[in-house]
Amino acid sequence: MTEYGWIPILFVVLITVATVGMGLYATRKAKGAADFFVAGRSVSVMSNASAISGEYLSAASFMGVAALVMKNGYDALWYPIGYAAGYLFLLLFIAGPLRRFGAYTIPDFAEGRFDSPKFRRTAVLFVLLIGFFYTMPQMKGAGTVMVSILGWPYWLGILVVGSVITLNVALGGMKGITFVQAFQYWAKLFAISVPIFILMGVYGSYTETMNTMHQDLTTIPNILHDSPIVMKGKKDAPLNVMSLSPMRAIYLYITDAAVLDKISPSKKIKGSDPMPEGVIQAADVPDRMQYDSRAARYEKLMTQPDGSILLPAHRMIRINPYRVTSNGVPVTKDSKPVRNSVKLEFRDETKVFIPIGAVAMNAPTNGAWMHPFGPLTSKEGYIPLLYTYSLIIALVCGTAGLPHILVRFYTNPDGKAAKQTTLAVMVMLGIFYVCTPIWGTLARAYMPVLYANNSTDNAVIKLPMYMDNHLVAAILIGITSAGAFAAFMSTFSGLLVSMSGAVAHDIYGKMIKPTATDAERMQMFKYAAVGIGTVSMLLGFAAKDFDIAKMVGWAFAIGAASYFPLLLLGSWWRGLTRQGATAGMLIGGLLSLSAIVSFMLIEKKILHLQLHPLMLMFMEQPAIWAVPLSLLIMVFVSKATAKDIPADATLKMLRLHAPEEMGFSKNYIEH
Amino acid sequence: MSVVRTDVTKLSEEQHAKLAHAVMRRQSKLSIGVAAIFLFILLGLPLLNHFASSFANQQVGSFTLTWLILGVLLYPLTWILSAYYVSASEKIEAECSDWRAILGHEAGEDLEPEGVGDVKPAFIESDILTKSEGSND
Repeated sequence: MTEYGWIPILFVVLITVATVGMGLYATRKAKGAADFFVAGRSVSVMSNASAISGEYLSAASFMGVAALVMKNGYDALWYPIGYAAGYLFLLLFIAGPLRRFGAYTIPDFAEGRFDSPKFRRTAVLFVLLIGFFYTMPQMKGAGTVMVSILGWPYWLGILVVGSVITLNVALGGMKGITFVQAFQYWAKLFAISVPIFILMGVYGSYTETMNTMHQDLTTIPNILHDSPIVMKGKKDAPLNVMSLSPMRAIYLYITDAAVLDKISPSKKIKGSDPMPEGVIQAADVPDRMQYDSRAARYEKLMTQPDGSILLPAHRMIRINPYRVTSNGVPVTKDSKPVRNSVKLEFRDETKVFIPIGAVAMNAPTNGAWMHPFGPLTSKEGYIPLLYTYSLIIALVCGTAGLPHILVRFYTNPDGKAAKQTTLAVMVMLGIFYVCTPIWGTLARAYMPVLYANNSTDNAVIKLPMYMDNHLVAAILIGITSAGAFAAFMSTFSGLLVSMSGAVAHDIYGKMIKPTATDAERMQMFKYAAVGIGTVSMLLGFAAKDFDIAKMVGWAFAIGAASYFPLLLLGSWWRGLTRQGATAGMLIGGLLSLSAIVSFMLIEKKILHLQLHPLMLMFMEQPAIWAVPLSLLIMVFVSKATAKDIPADATLKMLRLHAPEEMGFSKNYIEH
Repeated sequence: MSVVRTDVTKLSEEQHAKLAHAVMRRQSKLSIGVAAIFLFILLGLPLLNHFASSFANQQVGSFTLTWLILGVLLYPLTWILSAYYVSASEKIEAECSDWRAILGHEAGEDLEPEGVGDVKPAFIESDILTKSEGSND
């Protein structure tokens, strides 16, 4: 692999140069504000659909879905179908009316619908909030890929990728990126589909792999190669956790002395006695190559008073499963003794060598993985069902609430084209998403070592690594790395355009200096792009420990509780008032935001709270209560303030719904 | 831009309401119908998984039934539904693209097509006229 290490780098450089080059080429053709913000509203259905798909397929779709399928199996399949189904609802209820209303940005719609410049502020706030939330996983994607293929530090990858895109957007605006994003859709489709067919030929097909898993539902895949890995330390919790299976003893080789901050049972079993001392042992042979598990003698490693365990350097460490007892009596289930193993938490970054044949750490059993309500939702009673519904609501409603996607509908010539575009987008996305679970399935079976140090987010990049033909492996890694780059470059560009547009057009052009000329607004767009790009990179540094696809799910949840109710009711209910829309958006959106942020802090162990599992579920997946809450508040407050329904509300409804031929539609800003 | 000689925005509030009603009612009915079909399947699947897990987890080929539905079959379903929606929705738009036709017929006035929509839309016959008789389809 190493002799071809330059190949993936070459692919990444090529896609970056192509992106910047095309951006610059297209920029020379961009003239005036309309071109800059909405590409002159003249993009054809096919290229607009490619561009929307290109913008939408982010690091979460390219790397995150495969990773989440690998980690959680069946339950993760809701993510891609949710991402795709969101477009169906966008098509059914929002795409046509929104385009017909004819505004530059969502805040334009918000203001135009209620004749209220004040309302614009609420709308802009959410463009920025959702945007920043969505940039975090993109940045994590950039950092992760650079760590994998170049060995760069995480922050350096973010810095380089972030700066390149920020400059590209600052120079090109929307016209520059429409063209680039259309190209990037096809690049990503190629990168997700072609390599997986080659890999299926080499490792085993999707159906074969699934069949093997059907054979024994209680088993966990074995690690197929001697694997050196790096475990994270306590500051990157929960990435420092290695949870072992009780199937058989696990051996680890530790080069440098290390500290286990804490060990605890890997499964919590009610009413069981505390785990016995001495499950962790060190062999007396200092050299790994001379080690023989039968001849070796072991010393028990004892727990220190603070609960930690010292692992000596250059030793093979053995961790034995133990029998679970209750008041000294062995616990049995189906007349077999119940066994348990331990969960190790490393204190500092530690190099660990896992010998071939180990049962993959942190991995669910085949049954838990393949069947619904596995590790992603695994809690008792109705909680998994509610979790699933909440996730569905977040993803389906959230797609219709992403400002950077919605702004793209304004680049359609008319409402009819907007609908046809959405249809084309759904086909393009569907083809892409059918491929993603194949990656997750193959990665589980053939590269389970990624479970061990919680780096499943690398599945798409690393899977080709074990091919016998190193040249082909390097080329495939190059293709998927380039695809991942295309993914976060295009999504991050789109987010930057939409957020910088909000600052330049809405905050500066409408609130601060309404007399601003086109040139001044374009100047402000550039400054805003640089400023927002910088903040996004800083947020990216903080996002290291969270699953990419989960973070995107959170951005969707906030969009679902704020923009979706505004657009749905704003387009279809004449009676919605500014007060109602503001109250619903602020309460629904901000409550979900705080629920999610609190959950993240609990997960990172910054916030220490003991909460009921149901409560935690509602915090992790707020859409199930936040979306109805937001809708209800909008309805009730609007009823209470019915005197403030805009005088020409009916005319506005016609502008949203009447076919263009009827003559009600007009562009908010003519060009 | 298409040429519109009369400023439609100057019509009376009542006429606007009538137009909005005519345009939105059929579109929303279509949208809700298509959404209902999809939601029935999407929201029904978790229930099937929860209450009929052995049925949902039965092996179909190399997959489980529920994996096959969620991981593969739902995508083409979204294509079929959206293709149907787009064509039906375009048909509705074509049928009510002429405001004079909608208002004229409703108000019992003569139609004066003026460069827009010379053809009397089929929608008038099929929908507005039969509305009073209580059958909307």
